Amino acid sequence: MRRLLHIEQVKLLNYNPFRITLGIYFIAFTLGLLIYPAVDKEIPVISLSDLFRFPDVWMFLTWVTEPYNVLLALIIIMITTKEFNNHTFKTQLIFGLSRTELLIQKLLLIVVLAVFATLLLGLTSLTLGLIYSYKITFKIAMENTLILSRYLISSFAYMTMGLLIALLIKNTALSLLTFLAMRVFVDPVLFLVLREYEVKWYLPFRTTTRLTPVPNLIEIFQKKVNSSETIDETALDLLPKGLPIWLNTSLALLYTGLAIYFSYRLIQRRRFT
Amino acid sequence: MPIDMKEILSIRGLSKSYKNVTAIQNLNLEISEGQAYGILGPNGSGKTTTLSIVTGIIHQDEGSFNWFGKHPHANQRKKIGSLIETPHFYPYLNLIKNLQIICDIKGISYKDIYRVLESARLAERRKSRFSTLSLGMKQRLGIAAALLGDPSVLVLDEPTNGLDPEGIAEVREIVIQQVEQGKTLILASHILSEVEKICSHVAILKKGELLANGPVKELLAEDEIIEISCDRNEELKGKLEGSELVNEIETENGLLVLTLNGNTTPADINAFAFSNELVIHHMLSRKRSLESQFLELVKED
Repeated sequence: MRRLLHIEQVKLLNYNPFRITLGIYFIAFTLGLLIYPAVDKEIPVISLSDLFRFPDVWMFLTWVTEPYNVLLALIIIMITTKEFNNHTFKTQLIFGLSRTELLIQKLLLIVVLAVFATLLLGLTSLTLGLIYSYKITFKIAMENTLILSRYLISSFAYMTMGLLIALLIKNTALSLLTFLAMRVFVDPVLFLVLREYEVKWYLPFRTTTRLTPVPNLIEIFQKKVNSSETIDETALDLLPKGLPIWLNTSLALLYTGLAIYFSYRLIQRRRFT
Repeated sequence: MPIDMKEILSIRGLSKSYKNVTAIQNLNLEISEGQAYGILGPNGSGKTTTLSIVTGIIHQDEGSFNWFGKHPHANQRKKIGSLIETPHFYPYLNLIKNLQIICDIKGISYKDIYRVLESARLAERRKSRFSTLSLGMKQRLGIAAALLGDPSVLVLDEPTNGLDPEGIAEVREIVIQQVEQGKTLILASHILSEVEKICSHVAILKKGELLANGPVKELLAEDEIIEISCDRNEELKGKLEGSELVNEIETENGLLVLTLNGNTTPADINAFAFSNELVIHHMLSRKRSLESQFLELVKED
């Protein structure tokens, strides 16, 4: 395990496109700390900083930073297809890695990146929460932190799907396009086509995005204005209910498991010439 | 094969096709410890396919192979130094880092890196990126990587491909050294002289089929050919055809080219001619080179 991870480390920490993309990811992520408060000044009635208070900050930032997981998936696609382009899967095989180890190597990397992303989110949320909350008690601060585990799954799920597509297509540009098309085109269109049917919630990318759902913004702002009037958000169709969280999470895990299984099958059969 | 020789690679009934093309067909081969085995054949004869299968980068359709008498397993490849087709490394990593990755895969210490770079005369370029190397240097790095960990078996696929004459000589020198140290070598090549110079055994492939295999010396010694000439060639030819001394007679530029039968010596031919009142005034032994055999074996039927 450590050996495989070390090999990945030597490959990647010296690979500029990887360092740059990961750098962009890191900067984009932490830049939020500076940008959100700046944006706040231009919105008069409601204050964005309300979203940065414990315990809402966890839900809000998890939702906001979910698209960054797409970037992580693109990194995985980039480095996996690169191994095909450079024929380095072949080199690693002939010198004694097994095909299974080739897969484990990439999965380990995915785990490391997913943990890194989740820690980054956790630290960012904690920092903003500490800055903007009026009243901080341990209980309030720690409420909703379980969503971080769903963020971890989301991150992992995106990257394993990226890995599957990369192993299937092998070509960098085509793989990136396919993945992005699935995320920004195929899934929304299918969702729209199936809008009458419950099955729309079972689409693979949908279950992944629903791991980190839109927080109940209205409720958050209502808390601020102390309004007793309740608004039926579902009637406004602002907050689609979707599947129960446990079912949605199980489905996301199931799809991730399938992605790993098919990746395994592919890697066992591939010609690595 | 003597019983005391340890089996290194044993290939049984191996077949592989790509779409409509048969790459190899029912290939059988036994390679024992210490042999320098050449796999000789023209381009497209299935050499690289064979080596790709035994090094685990592609799967066979049928048949099986064993390394060291056991079912193939990734760990066995750690004991084998391989170079299949062109060497492939991470273009943006320097030579040391590239070789470190291979050390990590093989589970050996980094100490060996300098030695192999030195033997491939690449020590000075150790901090250069792989992408900055010339073709010949890349090929030499491929050899260096194969030598990492001092494996007892080397599998080299066209190691001198694309090299200039100097590079070819250098690579051959390295390979010959390894053979002299008692390593088992499996060398695919389409260059006959390369196999002749390096190998003790040879297997000749044509269109995926094994045409002949055995010790290079035996293949060389088979069928002695002599050319003769006398005043009445046609008469001698007719008489020889009636005898059992020769297998084949061909006329070539006014000379008779005889393929001698088994134990027949040139002296027997001379005596035969003399007894028939024919005086041979030209006789030359053509030691049949492997090359002409090779060309004959692989030429179109």
